[in-house]
Amino acid sequence: MSQQTHFPCGQTRREFVWEMGAGFAGTALTALLAGDGFFSQAHAGERPLPDGSGSEGLMPKKSHHPSPIKSVIFLMMNGAPSQVDTFDYKPELEKYAGKDLPPDKEFINSGGRKKGFLTPAWRPFRPGGESGLLISDYFPNVRKHADKLAVVNSCHTDSHAHGSALVAMNTGKTFIGRPSLGSWAVYGLGTENQDLPGYVVILDKRGGPISGQPNWSSGFMSAAYAGTLFRPTGTPILDLAGPEHLDRKAQREQLDLLARLNHEHLSSRKGGQKLVDRINSYELAYRMQAAAPEAVDLSQETQQTQDAYGIGQQPTDEYGRNCLIARRLVERGVRFVQLYSGGGHLEETWDAHESIEKNHGRHGAEVDQPIAALLEDLDQRGLLESTLIIWGGEFGRMPFSEGKDAPGRNHNPYGFSMWLAGGGVKGGINYGETDEFGFEAVVNPVHLSDLHATILHLMGLDHELLTYFHQGRNESLTDVRGKVVEDVLA
Amino acid sequence: MMVRSTSWRMPFPVPRPAMNLVYGLVVLLLSTSAIAAESLDFERDIAPLFVRHCLECHNDTAETGGLSLTSHGRLMQGGESGPALNKEPLGDSPLLQRVLDGEMPPPKENKPQTITSEEIDLLKRWVAAGAHWPEGRVLDPYERTTEARAGRDWWSLQPIERPEVPSFGEADSSTNPIDAFIRRPLSERGWQPAPPADRRTLLRRVTYDLIGLPPTPEEYAAFERDESPDAYQQVVDRLLASPQFGERWGRYWLDLVRYADTCGYERDQEKIGAWKYRDWVIAAINDDMPYDQFVLAQVAGDELPNRDESTVIATGFLRLGTWNDEPNDPQEYKYERLEDMVHATSTAFLGLTVKCARCHDHKFDPIPQTDYYRMASAFWAGPIEPGDRQFLGGPTADALGYDVFGWTDRGRDVPPLHLLKSGDPKHPLDVVEPGQLTAVTFLDDSISPPPEDASTTQRRLQIAEWIVNEQNPLTARVLVNRLWQHHFGEGLVRTPNNFGFNGNKPTHPELLDWLADELMHPISQEPSAISQRPWTLKRLHKLIVMSETYRQSADHPLYDEYSASDPGNQLWSRSERRRLDADALRDSLLVASGQLDLTPGGPGFKPTIDPEALEGLSKKSGAWQASPPEQQLRRSIYTYLQRSLLPPTLTVFDQPDTTLPCGQRDVTTVAPQALALMNNPFVHERSETLAARLMEESDSVDTQIEAAWQAILSRGPTAEERRAAVAHLESQQQRFEEQLEAPKQPRDPDLAPQLLTEGLTLHLSVRDGITTDDQGRGESWSDLSPAGHHASQPNAESRPLFVDDRLRFEGRNWFALDGQLLTSQQYTLLAVVTDHGTGGHRGILSNWNGAAGNSTLSVFLGLSGESTVRFTDAFGNAGSVTNRNQPFLLSAVSGPYQSTVQQNGELIGSQSTIPERNLTTPWVIGQQGNINGEYWQGDIIAIVAYDRALSDTELQQVEQWLMREHGIEREVVFPADPAQLALASLCHVLMNTNEFLYVD
Repeated sequence: MSQQTHFPCGQTRREFVWEMGAGFAGTALTALLAGDGFFSQAHAGERPLPDGSGSEGLMPKKSHHPSPIKSVIFLMMNGAPSQVDTFDYKPELEKYAGKDLPPDKEFINSGGRKKGFLTPAWRPFRPGGESGLLISDYFPNVRKHADKLAVVNSCHTDSHAHGSALVAMNTGKTFIGRPSLGSWAVYGLGTENQDLPGYVVILDKRGGPISGQPNWSSGFMSAAYAGTLFRPTGTPILDLAGPEHLDRKAQREQLDLLARLNHEHLSSRKGGQKLVDRINSYELAYRMQAAAPEAVDLSQETQQTQDAYGIGQQPTDEYGRNCLIARRLVERGVRFVQLYSGGGHLEETWDAHESIEKNHGRHGAEVDQPIAALLEDLDQRGLLESTLIIWGGEFGRMPFSEGKDAPGRNHNPYGFSMWLAGGGVKGGINYGETDEFGFEAVVNPVHLSDLHATILHLMGLDHELLTYFHQGRNESLTDVRGKVVEDVLA
Repeated sequence: MMVRSTSWRMPFPVPRPAMNLVYGLVVLLLSTSAIAAESLDFERDIAPLFVRHCLECHNDTAETGGLSLTSHGRLMQGGESGPALNKEPLGDSPLLQRVLDGEMPPPKENKPQTITSEEIDLLKRWVAAGAHWPEGRVLDPYERTTEARAGRDWWSLQPIERPEVPSFGEADSSTNPIDAFIRRPLSERGWQPAPPADRRTLLRRVTYDLIGLPPTPEEYAAFERDESPDAYQQVVDRLLASPQFGERWGRYWLDLVRYADTCGYERDQEKIGAWKYRDWVIAAINDDMPYDQFVLAQVAGDELPNRDESTVIATGFLRLGTWNDEPNDPQEYKYERLEDMVHATSTAFLGLTVKCARCHDHKFDPIPQTDYYRMASAFWAGPIEPGDRQFLGGPTADALGYDVFGWTDRGRDVPPLHLLKSGDPKHPLDVVEPGQLTAVTFLDDSISPPPEDASTTQRRLQIAEWIVNEQNPLTARVLVNRLWQHHFGEGLVRTPNNFGFNGNKPTHPELLDWLADELMHPISQEPSAISQRPWTLKRLHKLIVMSETYRQSADHPLYDEYSASDPGNQLWSRSERRRLDADALRDSLLVASGQLDLTPGGPGFKPTIDPEALEGLSKKSGAWQASPPEQQLRRSIYTYLQRSLLPPTLTVFDQPDTTLPCGQRDVTTVAPQALALMNNPFVHERSETLAARLMEESDSVDTQIEAAWQAILSRGPTAEERRAAVAHLESQQQRFEEQLEAPKQPRDPDLAPQLLTEGLTLHLSVRDGITTDDQGRGESWSDLSPAGHHASQPNAESRPLFVDDRLRFEGRNWFALDGQLLTSQQYTLLAVVTDHGTGGHRGILSNWNGAAGNSTLSVFLGLSGESTVRFTDAFGNAGSVTNRNQPFLLSAVSGPYQSTVQQNGELIGSQSTIPERNLTTPWVIGQQGNINGEYWQGDIIAIVAYDRALSDTELQQVEQWLMREHGIEREVVFPADPAQLALASLCHVLMNTNEFLYVD
C-alpha cells in the first residue's frame, strides 16, 4: 500500500502539476525583466524558472509496452448504425425475410417498440480489397480500404438505451461519472503538443450526444484530462479569444504587465512553484490562442486534399472538414480525437427507427467519403502506422423491422460491428460472428470492455495496469472485465 | 437462511487492550501440549500468519477449494481435495506442503505474495508439534491488520480517547491546545514555527477562510488601526456571525453530498426544490446546529420524533445523486441507487468506502459484503422501485407530508433485501437483515424492527443514531478533520473521505482525537457569544483560527531547509499558500467590480454560458435560458447546477463533478484557466464595469490607478507598479484609438463580398426598382432577381413612405409579393431593416395564411417583444437583436443540419432543423401574412431570399455584400472610449494576478 498523498477526488498532488514545456520558461523573460530593472538581478537569478523537464500531468509519458500508435481517432457513429446493413453480411436474412426471430432469442425490446419481422440488408454487400471483406453499399468508399480494416462483428454492450450505452462506449460503464477513454489515454500517455489540448472532441453540428458532457468527462480524474470541445471553424476552443479590441498585440501588452506584477509578487515569497506554474500557464494559453485556430485553418490544405475529403460539397462538407481537422490535430501531436457523426435525437443521428434506407443513406453519404479520404490521407503521409482509427456506434440494430412493412430497426446491444484500422491492427479481417440473423454475438464475443482493453493495448497501455486511485480503490477503464482481442493485432 | 453477521465477530466482546492478554490466558489454559509448543504462541505466531496469508481466500464465506481455516473444526474438515492435515505423518500435511512447494499463498494480481522463511518455519514447527488450536478460537479475517489490509484493530476504528495536552518548553496552560500538539513534534526536531503572518495577510486569510470573500477596505483599515489585544478575536467573532459564513462552509458540504439541481442523463430533469436543501445546509451552519442534529436530519429527518418541514427537506441529502429515468434495466438500476446512497452516507459521515463491499468483502477494510447490504437495507426501504417518472425516483408529497424534495420509506414493512453474488442483481443470495457496520466492535450493531405504530422502518433513524453515538470512533474524527482541512488546505488525515487502509494515517493522531473529543465533550470553556454545547462547530472553528499555528506566515526563514525534509508541510511549520477556489474566485471578481449581490437563498440563477459550450447538449434549442444579468451577480453557491452542463468557468477552476461525493477539490493549474480569466466575457464585464466606475469617480489617471489597485488588490500600487500602469494605459489607449480610426475589416478578408445568384429567388433593394405615388409612398418594388417576385400595394393607405432612401413601414403598411418564393424546405432569408416596434410580433416577410390552414406551418421572419427574432413557429426564440433602431442585417437559414439566425454576420441563434413548412400560400412583406395585423414597425431597406440553404462561406459573402451595399458596419464590440478601454485593460490584468488569486 502506498502512503503517498492521495486526493480523494482524484489524484496525488504531483499529478496536479501541469507544467509547460520550455518556451517562456527559459531565460528570456527573466533576463528581459531583470534587464529593465523592474526587479533586482538577485531575485531574477535566485529563482530559475523550471525548464519543463521531468514534469508530469500532460507531458508525454512512457507506455507500458512499445507501440507504434501515437494518436487515436474515434469515429463515433452516434445513434447506432445497423450491423446487418453495413459490416455484418447475413445472407440468411434473405431466406427468413418476413419471418419472426425464433422465440428462444430473448431480448429487451427497447422503448417498447413494435417487434416486426426479419428483414434483409437494405443495400447489397460487395467484397472490397484483396481481402474481399464484405461491406455494404452504404460505405462504397470505405470498402476500397477493406484491407486496412479489422472488422469486429461480435461486439456486445450493456445497455439498449442511447444515453447509458453512449456513456458506456465512452467510459466503460453505463452510469455517468467515470473518466472517458480519451481521458485514460491522456492520463496514461500525456500528450505530445502542449500548445493544443491532448484530447479533442468535435461534435456534429446538429447537437451533442445524449447525456452530454459525461461522454467526454474525466470523471473522478483531474479536469486536466477531460476532453476539450473543439469547433471546426474560427476559434475552436472556449474562451480562446477575448473582445475584439484586445487583439494579439494588445493582449501581449497585458501579458507583459501581468508577468511583471507576478514576478514582483513571486520575488517576495518563498517556495513559489505553484505561482511559477501559474505564470507559465499564461504563456501556454497565449500560444494556444495561435495554435488552435491554426490547427483548424483548412486554407493551408490544397484544393485536391479538400476535394478528396468532400469539403465544399454536400452532404460531405461537415464531416469532411472534421476528418481533415482530425488529421491535422494528429499531425500536431494531439493524443485523442473523437468525431461525432449524428447529433441530437432520432433521425438526426444514426438512430434509424423510421427507415434504414433513408437514415443510413443520409448519414452514410455524409461520412463515407470523408472517412475513406482520412484513411487514404493518413496512409499516404505515413501517419496511419502511428494512428489508430476506431469506427462504430454505441450499439447495433435489430435484424427485424419495427412492424410489417416498417423499414426501420430498433436498438440492439447483443451483437454489433465496429472496426479498427491503423498501426498495430491486422487489416482485412472479420473477427467474431453474430448468429445467422445478425442478432447476437455467438462466436468470440467482444464485450465493450474487451474492445477498450484492446484499444488501450494498441496504444501501448495495459488495461489492468492503467489504474487511477480513487476513494480507496484502484479504478480502471475496464474495471474487473476486459480481455485484449489478440486476433485483431498485427 | 439469514446471514448472521455476528459470525464475523470476536468470540466474546473484549476491550481491545485486554484482548491479547485474554488470548494469552486462553492459550495457557487450553493448550494441551504445552511442552511441545512451549516456544510457540498461537495468538502471537500462528493466528497472524493465518490471517495474513490464508484467510483472504479460506474463510467461511469464500471457502476457496472448499477449505476454510477459521477454526479448528474447519481445519480438520479439510477441503475439496481432501484433508488439510494428515493424521500421520503430520509433516506431509497438504497445509504445510502446499506452502513449502511455493504454491500457497498464490500470486495475487500477477504478483507473488511473500511468506517469509521465518513464517514457514513457525508453520512447520506448529504442524510438527501437533497443530494445536485453542479450543473455541475462531479466526476472523478482519480481526487484525496485516500488510495487505486493515482489520478491526485499525486506528480509525478504535475508541476516541482524549489525550493529554502536551506540556513542553514554552507551552503552558494558556497555550492553545492545538499549538501544543503541533509544536511538540516541531520542538522535538529543534524546529521553529514560522513567524506570525502580518496583519493584512492574516485578515485576508481568515476572511476568505470563514466567509469566502475578501475583507473590505474599511475592514483592513479598522484592523490595522485596532491595537487592542482582542482585535483579532473580534474579527473572528464577526466573521463567524456573518451570514456569509454558512455560504462558504455550506459549499464544502454541498461538494461532499454531490449537490446539483438536476438529475443528469438524457432528460436531466430539474430536481424541483433541491435548492431548499442547499438553503437548509447554509442555515444550519449559520445557526451553529449541533453536528449530531445535522446528521440525524439528513439521514432520517422524516423519522425524527420532532420532524418538521425543515428536517424533511434535509433528507434531500439522500436524493441528490444522479437519477436515470431510462435505465437499461429498471430492476437492476435500483441497486445502483442503493450504492449511491450507501456511498454518500458512508463517505460523508464515516469516511469509509463501504461501497467497495457491494460485490465482495472489502479488499482493504474490515467491511464484509454483508455489511454493505445491512446498511443498504435502510435505503432499500425507500421508494426505489421503478415508478412514475414525475416523482424522479422519490416519494410523493403525500408520503412525505410536505411538498418538498425529500426522502422517506415506502412503509413500515418492506420486502427483504438479498445479498447479491458479486453485486449482480441477477444472482440474489440470502436475505440480509438490516444492521450497522460490524467494524466498530464496541457499538451495538443491530437494527431493531420499528414500533407497531411506526409508518417507516426506522432503519435510517437507527443508522443515524449509530453514526452520532459518542462511542462511534469515526464520526467526530472525520468531521474535525474536514474542518482542519478547509482551514489549512490539508487535513490531519490527508484523505478526508478515506479513513481506511488505503487512506493516509493522521499526521497528528493525538490532535485529531483531542479535537474529536472536544467536539463531543467541550472542556475548553471560554466566555463567548458562541455556543459551547456538544457537537457545535463554531467554537471549534474559532479554536482553530485563534491558534498560532493558523496565524503563522506562509513563508518561513528556513523554508528551503524545512521543505527538503518535510515537503508536504505535514508538520505545519508554516501556513500554506492557497489558490482561491472556483466559487471564491468568481465572488471576488464581483466584489472587485463592486457588483456582488449578497441576496441569500432561493432558486439558483443560471449563468450565461457561451453558445459554444451549449453545443454539447443533445437538445440545443431552449436548453439553457440564462437568468437576467442582475441575478447573475449573486454568490456562486447560488449557481444553478445542471449536471449535463456545469458552468465551464467554474469547472475549469476545479469545481467538482457532481456525481460522487467530493471531500477535497483538485487544485490544478492549466492553460484553460488562463484562457478563461483572460478572455471570458464574465471577467471582461467585471473589468469594464470597474473601469467605467473609476472613470466616473475621477478624471485623474493617478487616482484611477490607485483606485484600481485598491478595488482589486486592496492596496495602493508601489511606485514601480504605478509607472508600469501608466505606461500600460498610454500604450493601450493609443492602440485602441488607432483601432477606432482604422476602417473595419471584413471578418475574412480573402472572401469576396458577392451577391450569389444560384438559387436567388428574391432581391429587393431601395437602390433600384421602387415606384412611388404622388404622396411619395412606395407603390411597387421590383424584384431585381430573375425570379420576378415583384412587390406591390394597390391600396394607397397601405403603402410605406419612401424617405431617406428607405421604405418606412408605419402603422399598417405592407406589400404583396408575386408568385411562390420558395419550393425547397431549405432556404435562406436576408433582410436589411430597422425596428422600433414595442410589443407583439411584427413581420418582415411571411406566407402565413390562416384561412388557407397555414397558421402553424408558414415561413416567416420577424421580431416580437422587445428584440426577439422569430423565424417560423418552430424557431420562436431565435436570438435577440441589438441596436435595432440602426439599420441591421438579419439573416436566417433553414439548413440541412440546423437553422441559424445572424445579425450583421454574427450568430445570435441556432437550433436543429426546421420541420417541413407549407410553402404554397401567398407571400407578403411588412406584416404577418394575411392576418391584417402584426405589421412591421420600421424601415425596410433590402430583402434577399434564396431557395436553398447557403453554406457558411456563401452566407458570409452575401452578408458582406449586403452590408457594404447598405453601409452597415460591423458593430464595434465595445463602444467605449479608448481611455476607458485602456483602464479596463489594466483592471483586467490586476484581476489575473497571482496576488489576486492566491491567499498567503
